[in-house]
Formats: sequence, C-alpha cells, structure tokens
Amino acid sequence: MRELPSKESALFKQILKFYEYKQYKKGLKAADQILKKFPEHGETLAMKGLFLNHMDKKEEAHDFVRKGLKFDLKSHICWHVYGLLHRSDKNYGEALKCYNQALKFDKDNMQILQDYSLLQIQMRNYEAFNESRLRLLKLRHNNPRYWIGLAISYHLQENYDLAEQVLKAYVDTLKEKPGPMNFEHSEMLLYHNLIIEESGKFDNALEHLESIKEDICDRRSWKEKRAFFLLKLERHQEAKEAYEDLISDNPDCYDYYNGFLSASQINTNELSPDQCEKIIEICQTLETKYPKSNLLKRFPLQYTSDERFKVEVDKYMQAALRKGVPSLFVNLKKLYVDPIKEAIIEELVEEYLQNLKTYNTFTKSSNAGDEIEQPTAYLWTLYLLAQHYDNKRDTMKALKLIDEAIEHTPTLVELYMTKGRILKHGGDLNNAMKVMDEARELDLQDRFINSKCTKYMLRNNQPEEALKTIGLFTRGDAPDPLTDLMDMQCMWYALEEGECYRRQNNLGKALKRFHQIEKHFADITDDQFDFHTYCLRKVTLRAYLSMLRLEDQLRSHPYYFRAAKNAIEIYLYLKDNPKTINGEESQNYENMTEEEIKAAKKAKSKAKKAALKEAKKAPPVKEDQSKKKVQDDDPEGEKFLKVEDPLGEAFKFLHPLQILASKRIETHLLGFEYYTQKKKYLLALRALKRAYNIDKENPDLHVNIIRFKLEVSRLEKEDNEKREPLRDSTEYQTIFKVVNTELPTILPDNISLEVYTEEFLARNKGSMSHLLAGSNALLQINPESKQKVTNILMNSTKDEFSSTRTLKNCISVYEQLKSKLDSSKAEEFKNKCKEWFPISSYYKELDD
Amino acid sequence: MVTSTAIKNNKTPKRNTAHRVALGEITPNNLGQLKKLNTVLFPVQYSEKFYKDVLEVGEFAKFAYFNDCCIGAVCCRKEQIKESNQGTTSDQAKLYIMTLGVLAPYRNLGIGTKLLTHILQHATLTTQHPKFVEIYLHVQTSNEEALAFYKKYDFEIVATVEGYYKKISPPDAYVLSKKL
Repeated sequence: MRELPSKESALFKQILKFYEYKQYKKGLKAADQILKKFPEHGETLAMKGLFLNHMDKKEEAHDFVRKGLKFDLKSHICWHVYGLLHRSDKNYGEALKCYNQALKFDKDNMQILQDYSLLQIQMRNYEAFNESRLRLLKLRHNNPRYWIGLAISYHLQENYDLAEQVLKAYVDTLKEKPGPMNFEHSEMLLYHNLIIEESGKFDNALEHLESIKEDICDRRSWKEKRAFFLLKLERHQEAKEAYEDLISDNPDCYDYYNGFLSASQINTNELSPDQCEKIIEICQTLETKYPKSNLLKRFPLQYTSDERFKVEVDKYMQAALRKGVPSLFVNLKKLYVDPIKEAIIEELVEEYLQNLKTYNTFTKSSNAGDEIEQPTAYLWTLYLLAQHYDNKRDTMKALKLIDEAIEHTPTLVELYMTKGRILKHGGDLNNAMKVMDEARELDLQDRFINSKCTKYMLRNNQPEEALKTIGLFTRGDAPDPLTDLMDMQCMWYALEEGECYRRQNNLGKALKRFHQIEKHFADITDDQFDFHTYCLRKVTLRAYLSMLRLEDQLRSHPYYFRAAKNAIEIYLYLKDNPKTINGEESQNYENMTEEEIKAAKKAKSKAKKAALKEAKKAPPVKEDQSKKKVQDDDPEGEKFLKVEDPLGEAFKFLHPLQILASKRIETHLLGFEYYTQKKKYLLALRALKRAYNIDKENPDLHVNIIRFKLEVSRLEKEDNEKREPLRDSTEYQTIFKVVNTELPTILPDNISLEVYTEEFLARNKGSMSHLLAGSNALLQINPESKQKVTNILMNSTKDEFSSTRTLKNCISVYEQLKSKLDSSKAEEFKNKCKEWFPISSYYKELDD
Repeated sequence: MVTSTAIKNNKTPKRNTAHRVALGEITPNNLGQLKKLNTVLFPVQYSEKFYKDVLEVGEFAKFAYFNDCCIGAVCCRKEQIKESNQGTTSDQAKLYIMTLGVLAPYRNLGIGTKLLTHILQHATLTTQHPKFVEIYLHVQTSNEEALAFYKKYDFEIVATVEGYYKKISPPDAYVLSKKL
C-alpha cells in the first residue's frame, strides 16, 4: 500500500522537502498527519524515524524506521533512510548493506548512489567506490565533480593511466577554457600532475607541469615540483637554478638547500672531507646573497670538524648570546652526536663565562679599549651552560649555574623552566613542580608555561592540582575543564593523566584515559567523512589525497602508541590480577615495592576524599541547551576494570600497532607478552623473530627469548612424561616441531642458555639495561644462582657503566637487589646511588 | 624606597651591539615579576594592597625591559591634596614615588633615568587631572647614589624623617621633593 491519495501524496513530497531544509519539527508534524490516516504507510514511518533521529531520539528513531521497513520492504526510501540512520550511528558496514538494498529498487537514484560512494571511500572499498563513481558519471556527465570523482577512484586503485585519461577527457568537454586565475581549475591541474608524478614518469610530469604553467595559482607548489622533477631527471644544472630560485623566495627552508646540494651532486648522507669543503664553499657564496638566513649560518656547524668547527661555532654562539636567543641550546644539541663537538662547545662556553665575569667580553681582551658586552650576554651564557650540564646529567653543576642566572635576572620565566627541568632530571619531582609553578606565576597569560606546570604536577602524581591549573586556560563556558579538554581532543593531558593514575595504581581511571585517546583517534577517522564531499566540491584534491593517506596511517602516531602500550600492559596485568568492583580488597600489592604500595594507598584515600567533595558540590543545573552537561556515569572507569576479557581488550590496542607501528620493537615485545598469555606459542615466536630483526641486542628481547625457551621446554617435557597428553597432541607436536626448527635462527641450540646470556653480557659491556636483562635471564634459567647474579649487578658500580647509569636503571637495579637477591648489597648499592643522584627523592624517601 | 641607580660617569666603556630599552605595562598577569623584582631590590616587604594599587595608576607604574628582559620598575601613588579648612578635595595632587629600582647588573645604563623621565613627563601633561603640583619620595639617608641621582633632576631635600625605616639601618630618611 505505497500509493497515497493525492492530498497525502503531496504532503509526503513536502515531508521530503522539510528534510532537505532541515525543518525537522515541521516534518515530524506532517508525518504524523499522514500516519493518522494511514498508520501503516512504510515510507512515512521511516521518514518520521529520520526526523526523530535528528531530534536526538535515537531509540524511537530506530523503532519507527524498522517498522516502516516492515510495511514496505521494497521501498528505496525506507532502505535509504535506514542506511542514513546507521551512518549517523557510525555503523558504516550496516549502512553499506542498506544502500545496496535501496539501489536494488532504484538503481539510478543519484542521491543514494552518491551517499553509497561516500561510504565506500570511507571504508576504503576502492573497487566498489570506483564502480559507483563510474555509474554516477554515466548518469550525470555535465557536472565536473563526477569526472574528478571518477579520476580519484582510479588513482586510489593505482590505475594512473585511466585516472589521467578521465581528467583529460574532462578538460576536453569544457566548452571554454576557464580564466587565468581560476583556483579550482588550477588545483585540478596540479592534481592531474600529482597523478602523473605518482605513476613514476617524471619526464611526463615535468612536461605536463610546464604546459600548465600559466593556469596555476599556487606558484610555490609549481616551482617546488618543477625543481623536484628536474632533480629526479638528473638535469642537475637546471635543478640547481630552480632550487636557487626557491632559496631566494625563502632562504630559511631546509628542503630547498637539500635540493640545491643534491643538484650539486652532493650526497649529504655520506660525506667525504672534500664534499664538506664544497658545502661550506656553497654556503659562503649563498650567504653573501642572503645574509639574513639563519639556516646558512648553521650549515657550517654541521659540516666542519675540529679546529674549523671551533672557529665557526665560536662565531655562531657569540652572535646568539649577544642577541639573546633562548633556543640556542636546542640548536646546538643536535651537534652533540659528535662528542668532540660537544667538548669544544663546553670548553668555549666555559671560557666565555670566565671572560665575561672578569673582562665583560667573550674572549680574553688584550687591550683595555675593547668593546664590552651587555649584561644579558652573561645571563644567556649562564643559561646555555646550565642546559649543557643538565644534558650531561651533571645536576649539581647545572643547578649552581641556573641559580646564579636566576639571581642575576630573577624575572625571566625561561630560567625557572630550565631549573624545573634540571630538578626533574635529577629525580626531585616535587621541587621541579614547585619551580614550574613559580615560573607560571611570573606570567599568568602564558599558556605554554601553564601547560608545562600542569605536566610537572601530573609527573609528581598530583592530578587534582593539575586539573585546577590546566583549568585556568580551558574555555570558561564549558561545563568543566575536563569536558573541554576532551572536546578539544587534548591528548597530551589525557596521556600524562592516565600515566599518573597508573603510577598511583588507579587502573580504572588510567584505562579510562587511554580509551579516551583511542576515542579521539576514532573520531578523527570519522571526521574525514565530511571531507569526501567537501574536498570534491572545493577541488582541494591534493590536500584531500594527503588527508586520506594520513588517516590510513593515523594510529602510527606516537600519542596512540603511548596510550596503546599503557593500555595493553594494564590489561595484561589485569588478566592475572583481576579487581573486584571496589578494588579495595582485591588490590594486588604483591608485585609492588613498598613505595608503590604507599603511594597507591595514599592516592586512593585522596581520590576518595576528592570524590566526596565533588559529590557535595551539586553541579549547577542549567537549562541552557548549548551547555548541556553530559553526565559521566563512570568517572572512576570501573567498567574497564570489570571487562570479562582483558586480553581481548589488549588485542584491540595491539592490532593497530602491528599494522602501523611494525618497525617499533616495543610492538613485538608487547605482542610477545600477549601471545604468551594467550598460549599462542607460534605467534609468540613470530613476535620474537620480528623483534629480533629490528634489534637483536634489545635487553627485553633477550629475557623474552629465554622465557620462551624455558616455557616451551617445560611444556615439551610435560608432554613427553605423560602417556596420554592432556593437550591436543597433534597441535602441540606441530608447535614443538616448528619451534625446534625456527627458534635456533635466533637462539643457537649448541650452547647452554647460561653461556648464551654470558655472551650477551659480554657483547654489551658497560650497558646497565643489558646488565639488568642478563641478570633477569640468569635468574630465570637458574633460580639458585643468586650469588652470581648479585655480583653481576654490583658490577654496575664500576666506571665503565657511568654512561648508561640513569636514575631509572639504578632504581631497577636497586629494586632487583632488594626484592630478589641480597638486601645488604642493595643497601651498599643505594649508598652509591645517593652519591650519583644527590637530589633524587626516590633515595631520600627510602631513608625516611 | 629607592635603590642606587644610574650616575653616568665618563669612563663608561663602549658597549658592544645596540641594546633595546623599553617600558611596559604592569598587569595582573605579570604582577609576579614585580613581586620578584621587589624581593630582590628592596629590604621591605610590600603588602597585597601595594600590588592592587599599582594596577590602578596607569602610566605611573611601569616595568623597564632591557633586551626583552624585565629588569626594573617604577611604582607611584597619587595623593589628593585636601583643602585645609573644609576637608574637601581640591583639584590639586601630589605624586609619591613608592619604588624605583633597577637590577644590579643593569645599572648605569640609563634605565633609571628613562623610568624617572617617563613619570615626570606624564605628571606634567596638561591633560592630567587633578593637576600634580609636586612629586616626592623617601630616600634612606645613607643612600648617596640615589641622592645624587635625584638631585640631578632638581629634587631637593625638604625634610628628614627620623626612624622612618623599621628594620634597616640607618632608620632615617630624607624627603626629596620637586615642585612641578
């Protein structure tokens, strides 16, 4: 009963108009009017559902649409509406199915086809996308959008020839050529050029580029591409000229110089002394033309060494200190990969400091009539040197210098920030936080220092203070700071806060934050939806392509990685240490040090108090629609603690890392933990091998290999001892067979595990993290070898370990000694640590 | 309270590179810097009221910047002159310099002069209402540098207040004044 009488039929058409113009209330009223007479009219029911959906009545919406479908299964409108509903729920898979049904009943419906293609590209279903775009163009070939859409669909399938042909054909259909400064046409042409470039035919690309020169608005892109193609085609002289032209446009762009050097046939990756000389010559010539370029002044530092370097860096530093460049150290730090350069810099700056103190000049002045420096020169020299020693982790020297600087000019925010950083590196997080707060108070309108201060509060495990501080800069009209930070997708804060809660063993809240990061990434993926139409309409095609590619790689972002790593580790921990809902009794303190337990308990009581306080403060009831406060029904994140399958949750975070961060060894180390817990030994072995291929000397990898070998041997022994194996013998036999043939590729089977570990230690002499891993491995191999392992660990007090002796490593060694080995030796080690890390609160609190 | 500020002597050596001296506003957001300056410059602790008032006097409280570092400040207070017999306010006022100081490493660079000139200029603006007839301040009797500095700008000792300072020695202060 689809046909309505003429009056209602007209009304229904009106309903469709109401939807188009977003007049949902009117639409709903009209729908009700029809339904009064024809309560079983499917399409009207569906439309009513659609209106309700837009009025935030999700459940009712679904009910009506489903009801509508029931009465009219063959209506393309009903299916289309159902698809729209799924789409608005971000349920793209289901939405695709609905559109597919809808098209069965109206195969040439432009609107449905259009929507269908959007979903296909969103789901990266390139082939189907291509089919839809082809059909769309066949139906409507007057609109340029359909030509370009089809070209994109071929491009994404890497069918460059067809993509190009479509665009050419499109240009041919144009009755008159667009005017000279038509942005959309210009972008289309540059996109065309990109397709040719990606097909790898640089000669064609260059030819095409030259042919479109007059039509291009984005001149810089055009120039950059041209220079790039010339370089690729090894037309060096022309490339050089092209790059020099670009340099004259912007003499501070690194890429242009790189291009220029490549065009001068200098490979900056492997340099001979001759080539370095050549680079410096080139720079000197260029510098006469572009005396204001900062990059040109920096190049010589990179390409000279020894005495020559000393002269250059002397000049560079003096100019910067005189001018007062706060970022000078950051610039210089990159040179520290060369220890000789680091030493030269130290020597020079120490001299400056002495000379400025005595003569007010950088260099020892011979005649009294020399010009003297401004007082700020001395200040910036102190600042630079403090950062230098902090970088060397000479905490006391750095502190002394920065304190002198603060005494000299006590109003400078940067000085306090550096002091905070020095304290943090030295292990005194509490004072680091206080100094950051002092800095913040010097300039209350500086968001950067406010955020830094917030971060230091979180590092010092003070989430409440941190929230108050960051709240100074969140939007005033937001319901509360946290909501605003979430709306703004402020990830650094969520990460730091999550890690803070994790340290406090407040795992529910920690997981909540890490899931929040996952949600931000999911939202970013969803957000691209609108751009599929927008970019096509605005013809910003190159940007569109790079957005699609970015979205495909999105979860390789370091923020995602950090959140995922934390979440995986917590879920793996929860699997063995499940928590009851209130967490209190089931709190697992076994694997924690006393410190951690204390901190956790303290945090808990604090959190409780804060929660009570929060409860007392009744949230202001506001009817304002725009300010609707979303009630958080699980502020403590308990639902994450209660999940039935923590390993399954862990895998959800692990999977994107395996695809997108497979070059990071941590991905495979986490994978190994996961698969071992899942008892999937072959996949665990695969993870080990992948890690091995990235860095075979990785300390954690070594421990994992040993653990794996021990575990598999134990299983095999068990299996052999039992006449009737408990496990499915064929499956396990296969596992043993594969492991026994594959494992030797990373773990030689002709030597004992002990010898293997000793060789590992010998290869990595002087590294504390390897020492720790080795000691761990030896304990696993033979739990009786405590004496020997203790001696090995105590070796780390020797000088050869000084370069890897970080606070973190020392804490690990101490805890290992204390909890598993020999507490008197631990005491001895602790006393050494107090000398190495005189301000570390970790060791101070041990004594309290 | 005044620190020893600039007395330019002829032996000042030539300074390398040009430097920038600028004056800047004191706002609630950078008040922390004024507090830092005052703790370093003066042996007196200033009340919260001092900092509140500073925000109200406009051009009569200023920071001095040297190469973009905040290194000195001047803070004044406006004082209405009361009609002696009726107790009502007249349209005449005095300007009192509460603090004027420059951090030690930045002295003898003309920054104190710049701060004082700024105050004098604004105090004598014709648009100023009420009109300032006098500018004055207290200086510790032992602070010869400061005395010399202000005398250079035609300030005169008009009185000596014994026991003006509570916690420092000598406790006596001169009142320096200049008619406008």
